[in-house]
Amino acid sequence: MKKSLFVILSLVLIAAFALSACGPAEAPATEEPMQEPAVEEPMEEPTEEPAAEATEEPAEEATFDTYITIWSDDMLTPVLLGFVEDFQNEYGIGLVVENVPDRNDQFPIAAPAGEGPDIIMLAHDRLGGFADSGLLAPIDLGDKAANFNPAALQAYSYNGQLVGVPYAVENMAFFYNTDMVDTPPTTWDEVMEVGGALVDAGEATYALALAGTTYDAYPLMTAFGGYVFGTNEDGSYNPQDVGIDSEGMIAAGDFIKAGVEAGYISSSTDWDTAHVQFETGEVPFLMAGPWALDRLRESGVPYAITNFPSETAVGAPFSGVQGFAVNALSDNVLLAQAFLTEFLATDASMQKLAEGSNRPSAWLSVTSDDPDLAAFGEIAAVAQPMPNIPEMGSVWGSWGDATTLVVNGEQDAAEAYGNAAAQIRDLIAGAAAGMVNVPGSWQAASGACEGDWDPACEGSALTDNGDGTYSATFELPAGDYEAKVAMDGAWTENYGVDGAADGDNYAFTVEADGTVTFTYDSETHLLDIVIE
Amino acid sequence: MGVRLKKQPKIPSGTLWKVTLRLLLLLAIDGFVIWFAMSAFAEGYFQLGVVIALLGAGTNYVILAKDLYPIRWMLVGLVFMTMFAIWPILLTVFVAFTNYGDGHLLTKQQSIDLFLQERYLPEGGNAYTWTGYINENDEYALWLQNEDGESYLAYPGKPLIPAAEASGLGELDEDGIPASVGDYKRLNAIQVATNKEIVDVQFGTDLDGVRIRSAREAAQLEPKFEYDAEQDTLINHENGQIYTPVDGTWTSNKGDRLSFGFRAGVGFDNFTRFFKSSALRGPLFHIISWNFIFAFMSVFMTFSLGLIIAYIYNDRSLPGRKIIQSFLLIPYTIPSLITIIIWRGMFNNEYGVINRILESLFHIAPAWTVEPNLAKIAILIVNLWLGYPYFMLITSGALQAIPEDLYEAASIDGANGIQKFFRITLPMLLVSVGPLLVASFVYNFNNFNLIFLFIEGGPPIPNSPTRAGYTDILISYVYNFAFAAGRAKEYGLGAAITIIIFIIVAAITLFQFKYTRMWEEVGENA
Repeated sequence: MKKSLFVILSLVLIAAFALSACGPAEAPATEEPMQEPAVEEPMEEPTEEPAAEATEEPAEEATFDTYITIWSDDMLTPVLLGFVEDFQNEYGIGLVVENVPDRNDQFPIAAPAGEGPDIIMLAHDRLGGFADSGLLAPIDLGDKAANFNPAALQAYSYNGQLVGVPYAVENMAFFYNTDMVDTPPTTWDEVMEVGGALVDAGEATYALALAGTTYDAYPLMTAFGGYVFGTNEDGSYNPQDVGIDSEGMIAAGDFIKAGVEAGYISSSTDWDTAHVQFETGEVPFLMAGPWALDRLRESGVPYAITNFPSETAVGAPFSGVQGFAVNALSDNVLLAQAFLTEFLATDASMQKLAEGSNRPSAWLSVTSDDPDLAAFGEIAAVAQPMPNIPEMGSVWGSWGDATTLVVNGEQDAAEAYGNAAAQIRDLIAGAAAGMVNVPGSWQAASGACEGDWDPACEGSALTDNGDGTYSATFELPAGDYEAKVAMDGAWTENYGVDGAADGDNYAFTVEADGTVTFTYDSETHLLDIVIE
Repeated sequence: MGVRLKKQPKIPSGTLWKVTLRLLLLLAIDGFVIWFAMSAFAEGYFQLGVVIALLGAGTNYVILAKDLYPIRWMLVGLVFMTMFAIWPILLTVFVAFTNYGDGHLLTKQQSIDLFLQERYLPEGGNAYTWTGYINENDEYALWLQNEDGESYLAYPGKPLIPAAEASGLGELDEDGIPASVGDYKRLNAIQVATNKEIVDVQFGTDLDGVRIRSAREAAQLEPKFEYDAEQDTLINHENGQIYTPVDGTWTSNKGDRLSFGFRAGVGFDNFTRFFKSSALRGPLFHIISWNFIFAFMSVFMTFSLGLIIAYIYNDRSLPGRKIIQSFLLIPYTIPSLITIIIWRGMFNNEYGVINRILESLFHIAPAWTVEPNLAKIAILIVNLWLGYPYFMLITSGALQAIPEDLYEAASIDGANGIQKFFRITLPMLLVSVGPLLVASFVYNFNNFNLIFLFIEGGPPIPNSPTRAGYTDILISYVYNFAFAAGRAKEYGLGAAITIIIFIIVAAITLFQFKYTRMWEEVGENA
């Protein structure tokens, strides 16, 4: 999240370059100056060491009619390269793996320009934006779905459709110092009791240090029933249900505030500070992810991993799911899908991916001899997938600020989280928040708007009469028209005949050129149309 | 260099080989330009092609026209400026008037094509898992199995054959799939998928035919959408809805929207969105006033400290002058990114060096990152550290340029040191350093790196309608709003905000340069 503005600005420029490609549909520009890591010549596929190859097929560099290109990251590229020879020998199809660290930024520019890979490795929280843009082709796992961690599949789905094949799940776990604590606490009150006793005895500086204000503190918040977005029936997140000011979140905030005031929770929420304090034995408990394993082991602190303490609910971390998605604009969509479902989604491939990535696998039958990873894997069962809806982008900053205000003791949890939630709802609703509109087939005819059925057109918005009703009058030529009420400049909340949500259109006829007055009652959701 | 300078003033006399050489060079350039422009056109980058062609034509004109001889020496610079400064700015302006961003990344044709590829399974349609076969003539056949366990053999254009009636079946595997069918050999799904056209092949007749939908499933699919070019609408056959494009989003008359749209011009929408957004309801007064205070104080403090040091070391009799001056330059030579992060660590409330020292000396531990005013002071201290060497360098040069006789005359008139400084040194300095002060002010006005890397604009302002911190300046505040907290990546909105910020900064700069011109006049009159 901490990108320099200039990266963004230059991205805008790059985007501008790509946008200038308003010519024929497929514009695979070769001299597009800014998009280096696009698909190279198929010849230069980075396969094995040439020495090994020479024995099998002398002199001839293996070339193929068809290639599959994968964009991957530092960690996984070597693992994927390990598949190349087997795959090429077995199927006679070339496999090109490219390490593209900034693929999240490159992909939305390269794919529409026809220069994207066939398959891209993605963390699931960026799926929403790409799927919303039509860049990802759906995946059909068939019976194999049963072999995957269901939460991973859930995370890798968007709008109820699976848009990729997950391979790893990562989530945080609860660490405790085995020298200082004998039995791990199961509730947060116990954490404070055990840790507080250590602090009072002078054996620890704090009972707990938070390593962050949002993601890193989330397992504590969920333990009190806090959440970020509510879920729909099908398990997907509902952006209209913001839980930053939910009772549970506030209760967690109160708990943190009380802990800070008592001197048991550090007022610092710095990631490094918290980890150092745990590594040096100043703090007996830590919430951390598998990415901290290396430094914890190096520090030599005696630790054990266990489930998150619960309170009114089970303490659950966010889980991040890594996987592969298919570029919908690739020439080889079916082939890429087949590669993922038939070649990658197999015991052998998944085992290699898990070993290479040092993360708990999304493939259930993968075994790991690392007890820490196994412990992380167990917690994954209760983890909640990090929301992959684009609205999540609006949450982080305000949420973090609210936690900071609580930790600093500047505001009560209810006040801080309440305001943060208001900020987030505002951002999600966008500029048109509060707009009451009557989009319909009459809009263009009235001259108020350029097009019909536009819920965000300001020209046709109703004005607030101050008594719960909204109204506006327009001149219309004779004709038959239809209309509906839409809120906040979008169709998300709309009312039709009889005030029914998502109901039928109102139909009305203007006999001779005249004026039409719309009056909307926000209590009954009824629209009154008076034609004069 | 010297040689070229001597030649420069002469208009070329046009000895034959010189002219030939010049024409050959021009020819080479033209060849390159034509190739570049042609391939840009061929790939569909019309705007880029036009710009390159225009630049090429301009180059020819400048080189061939005698009157424009002096411009020739700036030609390369001008070309690069057009390509890498003016052209991207124009594109940014262009993007600002479009909806480019998540959900609208594709061209209209691409979005239509993708929708036309979508197929759906009508009610009563059959779905099967498939296994592919191929014969020596590269003809394909499918072995289909439905959920009830019934199997069929399917050839393109022929009715499905129930498994019992099929002939020439090879050995069945455990799933009941034959290893071969007549002279058709069994293929793996990946091998079948290698054929790009396979998804368009209908196995079976129009009545019972299936198409491959995924690596496992084949079904009696129908195209989901139809595009009516005349009406510019997409018709959904599955639910009968008709979608028309509204600002690049396919919208039905019931208000349904298709999941993705295309890039389209949206007029001033991005600008109105910004002006109507909660960004303007934030603590703008606080942010703007702090922005001015921050920029002014940064310039004032760095200039003052730099000047003091330069003034002290202007005295040549000081021992070790050069070495100390070199040491004082160190903050300037370390990348500011690293310096800021180090300072951030030093200002850590609990473990920072600064608080440890203060604690052991005075038993106080100021909460630098929590108290708004302390955070502001900390930021100014860091910026002082980052900025003073620059002014030390500039002013020590400028000091030496002030004529000694002015001071001598002042001494004769009986002026003391302080009078000399404020009556002679400072006015004389401001003449030469004034524009640099303005430049420094503008730079600090937009000093995003420092604000963002140090504490990300924090500590947060409570109850602000949109996210804001006490040390946020305009640009970091807008960044949080437009880029970090955006619902999605919206390049169009980003470009629009970039333009708005550019206008604000340009106005401030313009105003200040007017101001400095006044300084110059004062300087000349004095």
